[in-house]
Amino acid sequence: MIALLVLIPLASALAVLLTPAERQEGIRKITVFSCLLTFLISGYIFLSYSAAIGGVQFEINRPWVESLGIRYHAGVDGISAVMILLHGLVSFSGALVSYSIKERVKEYSIFFLILVASIFGVFTSLDMFFLYFFYEMAVIPMYPLIGVWGSKNKEYATMKLTLFITGGAVLSLVGILTLYQAAGLQSFDLIALQAHFAASPLPAFTQQWLAALLIFGFGVIASLWPTHSWSPIGYAAAPSAVSMLHAGVLKKLGPYLIIRLALTLVPEGAKFWMPIVAWLCVANILYAGYCAMVQKDLKFIIGFSSVSHMGYVLLGLACLNQTGVSGAVLLMFSHGVMAASAFALIGFIYDQTHTRMVDELGGGLGNKIPFVAVCFVMTAMASSGLPGFSNFIAEIMIFFGAWQKYPWPTLAAVFGILVTAVYLLRLVKNVFYGPEKVAWPALKDAQTLAQKTPFVLLLAALLLFGFFPNLLVRNIDAGVKHLIAKNPSIFEVAP
Amino acid sequence: MNSAEFYSLLSEGLVIALMFAVFAADLFLPSIRKRLGALTAWGLAAIFGCLLWQCLWGAGPRMGAAFQGTFLADPMALFFKALFILTAAVVVLLTREFLKKSEKNPGEFYLLILSALLGMLFLASANDFILLFVSVELVTVSFYVMTAYLKTDQRSVEAGIKYLILGALSSGMMLYGISFIYGHTGSTHYDAVRAALSGMPSAPPLLLLGILLLIAGLGFKAGAVPFQLWIPDVYEGAPIPVTAFLSVGSKMAGFAALLRICVSVIAPFEKTWALLMAVIAAMTLVYGNLGAIPQKNIKRFFGYSGIGHAGYLLTAIAAGGFSGARGVLFYLLSYAVTMLAAFLVVVYCSVHLESDDMSAYDGLSRRSPLLAGALFLSLLSLAGVPPLSGFFAKFLVLSSAVEKDLIWLAVLGALNVVISLYYYLTLVKRMYIHPPAGGVISVPLSFQIPLYLLMLGIVGIGVVQGPFVRLAASAVSGFF
Repeated sequence: MIALLVLIPLASALAVLLTPAERQEGIRKITVFSCLLTFLISGYIFLSYSAAIGGVQFEINRPWVESLGIRYHAGVDGISAVMILLHGLVSFSGALVSYSIKERVKEYSIFFLILVASIFGVFTSLDMFFLYFFYEMAVIPMYPLIGVWGSKNKEYATMKLTLFITGGAVLSLVGILTLYQAAGLQSFDLIALQAHFAASPLPAFTQQWLAALLIFGFGVIASLWPTHSWSPIGYAAAPSAVSMLHAGVLKKLGPYLIIRLALTLVPEGAKFWMPIVAWLCVANILYAGYCAMVQKDLKFIIGFSSVSHMGYVLLGLACLNQTGVSGAVLLMFSHGVMAASAFALIGFIYDQTHTRMVDELGGGLGNKIPFVAVCFVMTAMASSGLPGFSNFIAEIMIFFGAWQKYPWPTLAAVFGILVTAVYLLRLVKNVFYGPEKVAWPALKDAQTLAQKTPFVLLLAALLLFGFFPNLLVRNIDAGVKHLIAKNPSIFEVAP
Repeated sequence: MNSAEFYSLLSEGLVIALMFAVFAADLFLPSIRKRLGALTAWGLAAIFGCLLWQCLWGAGPRMGAAFQGTFLADPMALFFKALFILTAAVVVLLTREFLKKSEKNPGEFYLLILSALLGMLFLASANDFILLFVSVELVTVSFYVMTAYLKTDQRSVEAGIKYLILGALSSGMMLYGISFIYGHTGSTHYDAVRAALSGMPSAPPLLLLGILLLIAGLGFKAGAVPFQLWIPDVYEGAPIPVTAFLSVGSKMAGFAALLRICVSVIAPFEKTWALLMAVIAAMTLVYGNLGAIPQKNIKRFFGYSGIGHAGYLLTAIAAGGFSGARGVLFYLLSYAVTMLAAFLVVVYCSVHLESDDMSAYDGLSRRSPLLAGALFLSLLSLAGVPPLSGFFAKFLVLSSAVEKDLIWLAVLGALNVVISLYYYLTLVKRMYIHPPAGGVISVPLSFQIPLYLLMLGIVGIGVVQGPFVRLAASAVSGFF
């Protein structure tokens, strides 16, 4: 079941490879259908994951390279069940949004499907080797996806993005290899290693430098300040569906891998760095927030906004308590859906107007494209943490968790909400409200089902989990509780 | 010579027979003269088949020896021989394509390829410094002639002279080093030397000098800093199939000799030379990868990137031990398959676009999706991107470095992955992002088939790593 999430997109990529390039419609159908299928499977896995039982479910464990102890060990726990749902949702919406790609559809679909498969691979792997294997495999398709189908400063942006993320990844690889050798188990299996390191922890200094490699290495993809600079520029250049997947899901691999590797295998080391991470998060939240305030390009605004929001996610992780970490995972989900929706909507407008500059759009688009405008306003509300959307719950949880531990960073983070509201409300006002200054005769609202589905789906998810957060939180809590139970020393036990 | 000795010399004997056949056909059979390339390629394919049969189902002992033990057909030698024959077969295909437009008589070119191959086969089996030296010379002398083959092209002749002078210098160093080792141990036979070294409590300085000179001589072939200066110029000037043969075959030959010496002969003093090797590895990594960035010519580009790969191989040799040696073999397997795929594309483009400039690759993905796709896969594999073979090769090498606590070298190697990714992606950018520089390029079936097979190899080795790791492990397990 779990392996299908990886195999279906890969098999579809192969099918697309064998389809002649002229049959664009067929290629698109294969892509959408395969993403729909994985979305349904991910939904099924999410729903049938039993939080009451907890732990790892849907397990597969097969030998792969026996002499090195590499096994294909896959499964989901409470945290990854939520992340799989996020990825299924965003990738299906992304596949629908990809209909706007008109050029070289075949190559685009192949890279897109490989990307989808490898992200599923990361979320389902329980073996450090495959975790890294899929992670690196997810980074590389980004290069052609942005470089060929992107816009504006694409060649520079895609190179910067790829090199930054790979740079972080290879440092983490050294950390992974050191963990493998240090354990001496001849195994990359996360669960076996976790048990081993819990019984006989590494020396404090070793833990500290390993945690530094893992946290700051994977921190790059989570756009931890000051390694965030690839992110806004990369999203601005990427085609819509790729921005959606990247900002929505790929970026979440950073915090996810920090939880999986740093918090579980080198907990004492992680504890050592977390206060520093908390302050870096303040830089993320405020610096990127201020940057977003002065941007003129819609995608840059959302790009900086996503850097700013990742600050909240990492702040939640840095708390190292049940509330904070659960809030962080919930925000990973909520922000992922929100960012995907925002990039899809901006892409929808850009495809028709060929500009994303706020002043060139001129305002008053709300009259012209009411459906898209409503969706965008809702997305902006979700992003600024309005009650009713799951982002609100997540942020509240993070603040509660962080308050006891890091009062000053938390104050700064709360202030960040205000900054977010300023740039988002201003954006909404300048683009969608007021009189129309520029006539866009060709601009049409979303009409067909295929156009409306991604927006509706994403916003429905935000609202659904905003009103019934427990649907997500019970799974997340199960995962986080498990994590805490394994490493009681570093976590503050909830009162 | 008894039958077991004969059996262990099987592939060498067949290559010699093939050389006679090509020579005779060239002289006496004008009807075949036009098809000498096909004859050589099929001949090599048959020899490859024989070697596989010998390895897998052969009735003889797995561990053959000849000439009083100076020639050893152990699993490691057979592993290298298979790679050398594969490389030579692909180089013959490249040569056919390259010589199509020239009026020259190709017979001598094929003979030179075969004689270099013969040298490599003996070198893989050399268990004695004298045989090592003779086979290295056989390889190098064949390459001198091949490099300067385009007699009217000034750059080719210049490259040949440059290679000759530096090659002779390095041969001299190697021979000088061997004389020191002989002086201290009283033998040139690997087993005897090793036994003598094991008996020494500490290494005498002049013996260490000998080992150093030997490493320098082999480092020249392998392209290790500071013996790498010839590489970019010679690669650029040589006819392009020769560039391919140099960068795959000759480099592998250097590592075949170096690896055997490191794991069997000088292993007793591993602690003494391992640090030196690590420093050489670090310099080679940085030099090759930084040097590749500004290159505009595809041959120089692969020259520098090949130096970078030598750095990874030396990292594994510096780490030493079973996992290091296994890493070297897996890396070379992946490197050979990947580079041959890359050179199939590069030679085809060089012949049909009549340019070795990297700008000729602009928009290749529109002109020929197959060529661009194959080069894309090879470049990413060279950069070490999963799920391609190069990733797992680097994974093994870095893992062996970490195992021996060479964390600094592992971090350096990891950071060099980023640098190499940068320059490989600049070529990808040319092929996929830049607008096409011309019309569609068609690729004949005889070229497509090897290309597809090698692409399959790149992906296959990268995804199903297990059997290949086992193969590499069984080839070196005899030494540990």
